Parts: sequence; structure tokens; C-alpha cells
Amino acid sequence: MELDNLLVDPSISSSTTIDWPRLLLAGSILARSEQRIDQEAALRIATAAISLTDDQALKDAGAVLLGKLSNFRAIGLAINRELLAPGIDGRLGIALRLEAQRREIDRSILVQSSGVWLQVNDFQQRFWTNAVGEGWLSASAPTASGKTFLVLQWLIDQVIAGETRVAVYLAPTRALVSEIETNLQDLLGETGLVEVSSLPLTDKYRTARTGGTRVILVFTQERLHLLANVLSDEFSIDLLIVDEAHKIGDNQRGVILQDAIERATRASSKLKVVFISPATQNPEELLTDAPDGVQTIAIDSDASTVLQNLMVATQVPRKSKRWSLVLRQQTSTLPVGILQLASTPAGLRKRLAFIAAAVGERGGTLVYTNGAGEAEEVADLISQLLPELESIDSELSQLAELARKGVHQDFRLAPLVEHGVAFHYGNMPSLIRLEIERLFRSGKIRFLVCTSTLIEGVNLSCRTIVVRGPRKGIGHPMEPHDFWNLAGRAGRWGDEFQGNIICIDPEDTSAWPSGVPGRARYPIKRESDAVLELGDDMANYLVKRGQSDLASLAEMDKFEQVGAYLLTTFMRLGSISAASLAKRHDATSIAKLDQALGAVVAQIEIGVDLAARHPGVSAIGLQHLLEAFRTYAGDVENLLPAEVASNDSYDRFITIMGRINTHLFPAFAPDSRIRLYALIVVKWLKGYSLARIIRDSIEWHQDAGKSFKLPDLIRGTMDLVEQIARFKAPKYLSAYMDVLNLYLREIGREDLIAEGLDIGTQLEFGISSITLLSLMELGLSRMSAVALYEKIARDDLSKEGCVAWIGERLGQFQAMDIPAIIIREVRERLTLPSNVAT
Amino acid sequence: MPAKPICLGPMHFDKRGDAVSYLKDMLYRYDVGDRVSASDAVILQAALEHHPKAAEKIGCGITHFSVRTADFGTKCFWVNRPDGTTEKFSITGSIHVSKAKSN
Repeated sequence: MELDNLLVDPSISSSTTIDWPRLLLAGSILARSEQRIDQEAALRIATAAISLTDDQALKDAGAVLLGKLSNFRAIGLAINRELLAPGIDGRLGIALRLEAQRREIDRSILVQSSGVWLQVNDFQQRFWTNAVGEGWLSASAPTASGKTFLVLQWLIDQVIAGETRVAVYLAPTRALVSEIETNLQDLLGETGLVEVSSLPLTDKYRTARTGGTRVILVFTQERLHLLANVLSDEFSIDLLIVDEAHKIGDNQRGVILQDAIERATRASSKLKVVFISPATQNPEELLTDAPDGVQTIAIDSDASTVLQNLMVATQVPRKSKRWSLVLRQQTSTLPVGILQLASTPAGLRKRLAFIAAAVGERGGTLVYTNGAGEAEEVADLISQLLPELESIDSELSQLAELARKGVHQDFRLAPLVEHGVAFHYGNMPSLIRLEIERLFRSGKIRFLVCTSTLIEGVNLSCRTIVVRGPRKGIGHPMEPHDFWNLAGRAGRWGDEFQGNIICIDPEDTSAWPSGVPGRARYPIKRESDAVLELGDDMANYLVKRGQSDLASLAEMDKFEQVGAYLLTTFMRLGSISAASLAKRHDATSIAKLDQALGAVVAQIEIGVDLAARHPGVSAIGLQHLLEAFRTYAGDVENLLPAEVASNDSYDRFITIMGRINTHLFPAFAPDSRIRLYALIVVKWLKGYSLARIIRDSIEWHQDAGKSFKLPDLIRGTMDLVEQIARFKAPKYLSAYMDVLNLYLREIGREDLIAEGLDIGTQLEFGISSITLLSLMELGLSRMSAVALYEKIARDDLSKEGCVAWIGERLGQFQAMDIPAIIIREVRERLTLPSNVAT
Repeated sequence: MPAKPICLGPMHFDKRGDAVSYLKDMLYRYDVGDRVSASDAVILQAALEHHPKAAEKIGCGITHFSVRTADFGTKCFWVNRPDGTTEKFSITGSIHVSKAKSN
């Protein structure tokens, strides 16, 4: 079962003998069923026959059964582990052999672009067959179904061998964006056939559109809007893949995703859209907004490729170091054994850490915690229980080096990874996070302590998951579908036959208010639909939004984004009854909303085009901002952000953020935090490294005589960078600039409108110099780009200039104190002249 | 003590206190981060020239004035010099020389 430190429970009797031929027959009948529970039973029987019996004929029969389940990877694994003798085809009778071969042929797909045949499972095959043509597709399958791998293969095929010139892969988090971008680059190698980029810049797009190298753009929904804003009427894409599409239901960003899909659909009538979601109940829901006449198909799979053992761990009475493990399966339970801990687990964190350290000693162990701080603590505890390693693996020391140089000399991650333990959360720089994930996959990091970032869209599976009282976000008990999104990661298809989910203290209602959740799938519901179903609240909010000052508005987080979406839709169509969403809600509430929207829109002079550029930002807020500009008594130049290098820049941002809070939306509330926010924004824009921002903050605390805890300060800084500098500031400052430019045109001051990179893009990537932009356009992560930029004197280098600079110095990078992982990224991402000494 | 009149550029004030309130009103018309307008700058420069450490404050010259944050959440005028350096100065420090506040 791939569990460690397990004592056999003497009370468990194993006297029953198994009638294998009969069981295998049952398995082959069950394999024909489409029910998850039957397929799972067949898989369990096949796995057991291969791994528990000594009889070659029974093992072969198990392998045949796996073949019937299209689980060829598991057969490969059995051969690798020497559980199954190679050359099984030769041992089968003619009839069985023919059947097996037919199955293998049936279950193969041809990748057009490479001419390679891939062996696939049922889900993968259905996806491949149904994805042809122009129709929209929505595919749902549990984790470890080989979903992402196949979709990326398919995407590359479309771009290389198909008609697709510009494809966009939408991933709802920056974490997933960097992961997908890296995967695509790995799959494409150095073919140079397709460009991959995650920057919303126009040159690669235009090259592809005009017959040059085709492009796959990997974006969050916000970045897709940024690109569409820059391109305006030119914006048109051929293929849109929406990954983690169930996140269309997310509070605040779900509607931005919906808007991005609708905007792309409006821009190109022939757009093909493919939605991918983890185990969802209703993947077809995503297709209801397909344009009239477009064919749609939903592909839904519930089949498991690896066995997942849900076990509960309960302390043996009066023996705190002994924990009994019991397997829960549907309605039955089966005692597995007693887990022996190394030390007495006093306190809940220790309990989680010690159980994880014991049961998952062999590695591939994921531990779920309810927050970044807790993740660091638990990782630290686990590392203390592990034996000292004689030598530290070089990849682990390189990661430790990057953590020390890229974040802080005393960043906790560094000593932990040297022990093969790591923690992982959302606001971490992507270069570090991706390297942690890579080393966890390769087995060098044996324990990974994670947070809900993992279920927000990181593709990572494991051998064992250990969890106690999981929460999502702050305090909310995890819903069953989120729990199973997490639990479903146990068992790496092709690496293990089974994965284990260890739930600690199952009877403790403070940990598990409704018990350990039964298997469940996500219900897909758009954020906009969920908010509209609240009844009149939305209409009431809109009425108030039009009238009153922002301070008196309640529940802004719930209504502002959807309200903005409705306003823009109304402005475009003249009534939301003409919009696609109207068919999902009753006519009375739509009429009431139309009335409220009509009253608000009557006050708005802002054009719909401008409003549509800023999804989630309310047109009425934009209008109020315009009015504030019109009544501004000072010099109009003071309304513009100051040059970021100037002495006024920080203070100007303070004033602008205050203005945004008052007129547009209290995005930078409370006002007492504005100075901190402005400071982060300025430093980020100046191209400071995270390490430098952290160092500055430490110095400030020391100079001001304020106490601080280093881990909190480091996490707090990462959080500010991600949430303020990279999320809120680009969203609201780019809206501010657009309204200001409108006003400047109104008063004949076009001379003040700056050309060049828009503030939204500058902020999201933390760049205000041409050199830094060029480095990131070359495909470097910001961390690497900034590390090099700190050494480059000129701030106006083109891409070619940067490549030349790097080419001359790459051999000296190590001596220049540049971390090895950054050097590696530079080598991987840049095509350097062949004479470069490396 | 009789009131001391003061001239700041084109402006004449019968009492120094009037000059201070005039400049304070000016300060409060601006938000932090604002560049001071050319017409206000004339008066402000005259005020700075009254500062006991005028030479030091002006340094290599004045490009323009700004309003920025000062300590404890307040704001004040800053002088910007051609070499990119900048320094804050207080209104009362410039006008009430007798109190020798020289911030």
C-alpha cells in the first residue's frame, strides 16, 4: 500500500483465501460498466492480481484486465517494477493476443504534427475524437486522467498542423500560467515552429496573424483583457482553451473569466472554445453561451486511473504515538494497521507533521495545511524528524541558493529543501514554486507542505496526502468537491498503482464539521448566475451604486464585479434581456434589473468601449471619476502619475490611490494602508527584486524601532506584491488612466497622453524600463530578468541587445553571484549564439 | 512687538503671520505628489530665500517645488534641484526667522 512505519494489527485476521479466477472474471465484467465504482473495483482486482499473487497466469490475467480498462500505463509500471514478466503478448493465447492488440490499436491516437501514435485511455480518446471540427467542447475528468498532457498535445497539433494561427490558453492563476507555459515549451523543444508567450504584447500576435510563426499565448483572464485592450479592433483569436473552467464560478474573478470568453467570442465569429475542468457535475453548462449554430459537445469522464485509498487515522487510546489506520470504502471499512510515530505529537500541527513524517517516509508525500504560515511550521517540524543527509543533492542546494538570494538569506525554505522538505503557497515567486514542484515530482523533495493554492490550479499529484480539518481560504471548511480535487491527487498514474489519502481525527467535528467528505464533483455555476439568483440584492446594489457615496455601500465584494459586468452588457445591448444570461433567469427579475440598470446608465457618458476594457470595474465608478477630473481645480498635469524614477512618484501614487478609493472603487482601502501600497507599487515598477523589497522593509522596521517576525515580513511582502502591485493596482490604475485620457482629450490636452506600454502591463510584470521588458519578452521569469537587470547598466536594451549582453557574460554569471537556477533558465529560454562559452 | 511686514515676490503681507497662513492655504490646495504651479513657485521661492539656511536649502538651484508627505502623516513643500536631489522645508521655518526654526 506504499505506507511506511506500519505495524500489523494483530487483531486483523487474513485467513480467508481468495478465489482469484472468479475474482478476475468479476473484474472483467465490471470493467465493461461505465460506473466509477465498478471501474474502480475492476482496477483494484487487476492491481491485486498483479501485485499480490505469485502465479504468472494470474498476473497476466490482471494485465489483460488492465488492458480492458485502457490502463496501459499501469501495465508498463507493473513490468518496470518486475511484478509482471515482460513479453506478455507472447504468453497469451491467439484469441486474447488479437483482442489485446486490437484494443491497443483502438486506444491509440495519431498526433498529426509529429506522426507519433499515442496510447490513450478512454477519456483521452474521446477528447481527441470529439475535438475535431469547429464546435465547442467541454471536457471534465478527475485529476490523474492525463488531461493536461493530452490537451497540450492537441493544442500543439492544432497550431502546427491545423488552421490555428493564434491560440490562447486561459489559466485562471498566474501559478498555472507559468506551469503551462513551461510545459508547452518543454513539449515544443527547440523546434521553433510555434512561439509561446505569457506576456500580453502585440508583436508575436501580429507576426502570427500576418502569416509568420504561429503563437500560443498563455494568459490569465486579466491578461487576455490586457491584450484585447492593446489590440482593440484587431483582436481576434482562433482557438481558446479555458483550463480549470469551473472557476467561472469564483467570487470576483469568475465574472472576469466569463467576460474574457465572451469578449473573445464577439471578436471572432469562428472562434473555437475548449473548456477543461476537473471532476465536474455539469460540464455542458459551459457550452450554453456558444453562439447560435455552433455545435457543442460535453465529454464527461469519471473513470479512475489509479486506486485511491481513503484512510482515517485515529489515535490508539492512551498511546499517543500509535495511530490506527482504517481504510474506508463506500460503506465498508477495513483496518490496515497501526502507525508508529517517532515522537509524541503534542498539539495539532505536530500531529499533522509527525503522522505525515511517519506514513510518508518514502517520499511523494503531500501535506495540506490551512495557510502559508502553518505550512512553514509544519514543514519545519517534518524536517526535524528526518535523518541528517550525508550530502545534499546539488539540485536541492541550488534551490536553497535561489531561496536565499532571491528572497532572503534566512528564508525558511532554504534549510528545509536541503533536507528534502518544502512548503508551497500562492504568492511565492513562480521560479521558486515551479522548481519546488519539479523536484517534488522527481522525488528529491520528499515532503511538500501545501496550501489551498494547490487546489486553485496547480497540476501536482503525489503518492500520499495527509490532511486534518482542511479549510479553503480563511476559515471556511472545505466543500466536498474541493476536498476531492485535493484528495484526487493521491496516486501518480504510471508511477504508482495506488495513492493514499490519510485523514487525521475523522471523528473530531472541529476538524471535520460534516465528517470526512464523500466523493463529490464540482457543480459549475457562473459567478454572475449565482449572484443574480440572490434575488433583488443585485438590483438594489446597482441603485445604491449609482447614487450614494462608496462608504455606505455594503457587500461590495459580492456585487461590484458582477454589477460592472451587467452595466457593460446593458450599455452594449440596451437591455440585458437580450443577453445570453437572460435565458437562465426568470423574466421578472431580469426586468427589474433592466430598470435599475437603465436608471444608472442614464447618468453615464462613458462609452461602452471604454467600460468594456475594464472588466470588473464599474462604469458608474468610471463616470464618477470623470466627473472628479472635471471639477479638479489644480493643474491637470498633477492628475497623471509621475515618472516612476522621479521624486514625486511615490506621493503621486498616494494621491491617485486615494482618488480611486473615493470615486472609482475603494480598491486600496483602508486609506491608512495607501502609503504602504504606493511604496510597493513604486518599488515594483522600478524593477526592484523581491529580495531588495524585503531587505528595504527590514531596514525600515529596524530604523523605526518596530519589531517584526522575519517569516511574517517575508510572506507579507510577497502578498503585497502579488495582491496589490500585480493585481489591484493594474486593474484600477489602468482604468484610471483610460478615464484620464478621455478627459485630456475632452479638454484638448492630448499632448499629455503618453504612448507606450500601458500601466496595467507595466504593473503586472513590474517593469518600467525597456531592458527589463526585453528580458521578459525573451521568456525569462521576472526573478531572472531582475537578477540580470541589476547587473546591466543600460535601461534601453532591445531583445537583441540583451542577448548580446548575456552572450558576452554567461560564462561569468556564477562569479557574478547569479543563482544557478537563474543561469539554467537563461540557458533554456534564450537561443544564444553558438560561440557562447558556457 | 510691532508687526513685521514681509514681501514674497509680488505679494506684500503686513504681518508675517499673514504670509504664513497664505502659504499654508497654498500648501493645502495641493495633494501630495503635486508639482507646485509656476505662479505659486515664485512666491514659494521668495519664501525659501528668507529661510535661515536658504543657501543650503537651495543648493545648486531650484528646478521646481513639490508637495509631498512629511513626518507623521503631514505634508510639506519640497525643493527639487537640478542634480535630482530634493529637500523639504517648513513654511514657518522660512518666515518666522526670529523663532529660528530652521527645519
